[in-house]
Amino acid sequence: MSQGTVDSRRTRLKRPAKRPAKPRRGSLRTVPPAGAAGRATFVHSLRAEWIRLRTMRATLYVVVATLVAGAGLATLNGSSAGDEYAAMSAADRLMFDPLATSLKGVILAQLTLALLGGLAITSEYGSRTIVSTLTAVPRRGRVVVAKAVVLTAIALPTGMLTTLGGFLAGQSVLESSGAPYVALGDPGAWRAVLGGGLFLTLAAVLGLAAGIMIRSTTATVTTLFATTLIVPALAPSFPGTLANWTTKFWPPSAGGQIVTGYRDPDLLNPWPGFTVMGGCVVVLLTAAFLTFRRRDA
Amino acid sequence: MIEVHGLTKRYGEVLAVNDLNFSVRPGEVTGFLGPNGAGKSTTMRMILGLDAPTSGTATVGGRPVAEHPVPLKAVGALLDASAVLSSRSAYHHLLALAASNGLPRSRVDTVLEEVGLSNVARRAAGTYSLGMRQRLGIAGALLGDPPVLVLDEPLNGLDPEGIVWIRRLMRRMAAEGRAVMMSSHLMSEVELTVDRLVVVGRGRLIADTGMAEFIASVASQEVVVRTPQAVPFAGRLAAVGAAVRTTAGDGNDDGTGLVVTGLEAARIGALAAATGVELHELAPRQTSLEEAFMELTRDSVEYTTEAEAA
Ligand SMILES: Nc1ncnc2c1ncn2[C@@H]1O[C@H](COP(=O)(O)OP(=O)(O)O)[C@@H](O)[C@H]1O
Ligand SMILES: [Mg+2]
Repeated sequence: MSQGTVDSRRTRLKRPAKRPAKPRRGSLRTVPPAGAAGRATFVHSLRAEWIRLRTMRATLYVVVATLVAGAGLATLNGSSAGDEYAAMSAADRLMFDPLATSLKGVILAQLTLALLGGLAITSEYGSRTIVSTLTAVPRRGRVVVAKAVVLTAIALPTGMLTTLGGFLAGQSVLESSGAPYVALGDPGAWRAVLGGGLFLTLAAVLGLAAGIMIRSTTATVTTLFATTLIVPALAPSFPGTLANWTTKFWPPSAGGQIVTGYRDPDLLNPWPGFTVMGGCVVVLLTAAFLTFRRRDA
Repeated sequence: MIEVHGLTKRYGEVLAVNDLNFSVRPGEVTGFLGPNGAGKSTTMRMILGLDAPTSGTATVGGRPVAEHPVPLKAVGALLDASAVLSSRSAYHHLLALAASNGLPRSRVDTVLEEVGLSNVARRAAGTYSLGMRQRLGIAGALLGDPPVLVLDEPLNGLDPEGIVWIRRLMRRMAAEGRAVMMSSHLMSEVELTVDRLVVVGRGRLIADTGMAEFIASVASQEVVVRTPQAVPFAGRLAAVGAAVRTTAGDGNDDGTGLVVTGLEAARIGALAAATGVELHELAPRQTSLEEAFMELTRDSVEYTTEAEAA
C-alpha cells in the first residue's frame, strides 16, 4: 500500500456516507459495507457463514447424499415391501406402516445432515481457520448463532425435500407393488413429511452442537454415528429396562417417530417424540454456545 | 498501538506468560523475540482475544479487540500461515472474512493484488505452497487496512524471496504509521527489520529496548591485547579506567592475552605508543547480535530457575 492508499483510508474515515454500496448478487445484498462509522453486525456474520458453508466441499456432497438416501431407500423399501406384504399374516398386516416404509431414508439422512452440522465447525478447528474467523469476529456468540442459522437454512429445505421425495417415491412404488399406500391428503401424511423435515433439521443442529464441543472431526463423526445409528440399533439388546427406556426416549429414536403411521404403544407418539429430540438439541446447543464463548480458541 | 499490562497465562503447572508489560507503538516494527516456548504465540493470542488471560490486560487502540465495532479495521493478524481450508479457494477464504466485517468485496481483490495472489485466487488453497499460504495469511491481515498488525513468526519456512518481501512489507507498514508486531525465535530474522525489541524468555520480559540501543550495548565490547609487558600495561590500563582481565579461560586460549573493556582499541594503541609498550595484538572482539540474544535469554532461563528454587 502506498502512502496514497493510507491517505484515502483517512478520507474514507471522515466521509463514510460517500461510499454507496454496490448491488451484489445473493439474498443478503441489502447489507451495506461497514463504513468507519458502521459496525460489523450479526447480518454480516450470516453472510460470512453462508460463504463458508457453501464453499465447503462436503456441503454439496451431503445435500446430494441426503436427497438420494431419502428417495433411494424409499424406492428400495417400497418395492421389497410389496412382496413382504403379500406373505404377511393378518396380524402383521395390521402393523404394516406404509408411511414409515417410505420414510426409512430419514434414518440415514439424519446422519448425513448431522455430519454436515458437525463439519461446519470441526473443519474450522481441523484447518485452524477458527483463528482467523474469531480474530475477525471476536464476539463468539455471534459466530455460533450465525453458523446455526445458516446451517438451518440449508438443512431445512434439504430435509423437507428428502422427506417429500421419499414419500412420493415410496408411495408410488408401494402402489405399483400392490401393498397399501397413502396419499399426501391422508391423515398423518403431511405431519410425517413436514415433521420429518424438521427432525432432519434438528439432526443437523445436533451435529453442530456436538462438533462445537468435541472439535475433532474424527471424534465428532464417530460420536454422531453412534448417536444416530448405533445406539438406536443396539437399544433392543440392552439389558432389561434400559432397552425399553432407550428405545422409547433416546432422542434420535424418539424424534424418528414423527414419520410413523402405526402407533406402537411402547413408543412415544410422533409429536411427544419430536419434542424430546427438540429439547435435547436445545440443551446441547446451549451447552455448546456457552462452551464456545468461554473456551480458548 | 498495543498495550499489555501484567499479562499472565497459566496452563496448569506451566506459566506460559508471566506478568508481561510492554507496548507496540505506531510507526515502528517491534520484534517480539524469544526462544521456542517463551510464550510469544500465547501472548499474541491473548492480544487478539483468542485466549483469555489468567490475569492482566491487553488492548489494541485503547480497548480489547472484541470491543472494536469493525475488528478487522482495528487489527490484522497472521497467527498460523497454514490455517486455510484446503478445499476452499483463497478468494472465498478472504471473502468470508471480509463479509463478516462488512468490508466491500473490492477489498478482497485489492489485498489479493497486493500480495501477488490474484492469478491463483480461485484455486483451492490446499494446492498452495507454504510461501503462498503465508501471502494469503498476510492478505487476510491487510483486509481491513488496519493500523495494527500482529504477525506470529511471519518468516518461518519462507524462501529468501518471500523473506525479503515480508520484510519490505513490514517496513512499509511502519512507514505508513502503523504499529507492527512480529515474533521470531531468531535474532537474525529481526535484526534487519525491527525498530524495537521486546525479548521474552519463559514467559517473562527480559528486555524492552530500541534496536539501535541494543546494538550499541552489544558494541560496547571487548578488545584483546597481547604484549610482552602484560602486567605493567594492565596496571596502566586500569589507571585510566578500563576493566582488564586475562584471556585465561576463554576457550583454548593460552591465557597470555588481556581482555580490555571500557576503552576503544585506538585509545589502547595510543596509550601503548605513549608508554613505549610493544603490542603483538590489538583486536576488537565483536559479539554477534545472535550471541548477545542467546546470552540474554540464557541468563533469563537461569534466573527463572533460581527464582523457582528460592
Ligand atoms: N493450549 C496449551 N495448553 C498447555 N500448554 C500450552 C498451550 N499453549 C502453549 N502452551 C505452553 O506454553 C508455553 C508457551 O508456548 P508458546 O506461547 O507457544 O511459545 P512460543 O510461541 O514463544 O514458542 C510452552 O511451554 C507451551 O508448551
Ligand atoms: Mg510460537
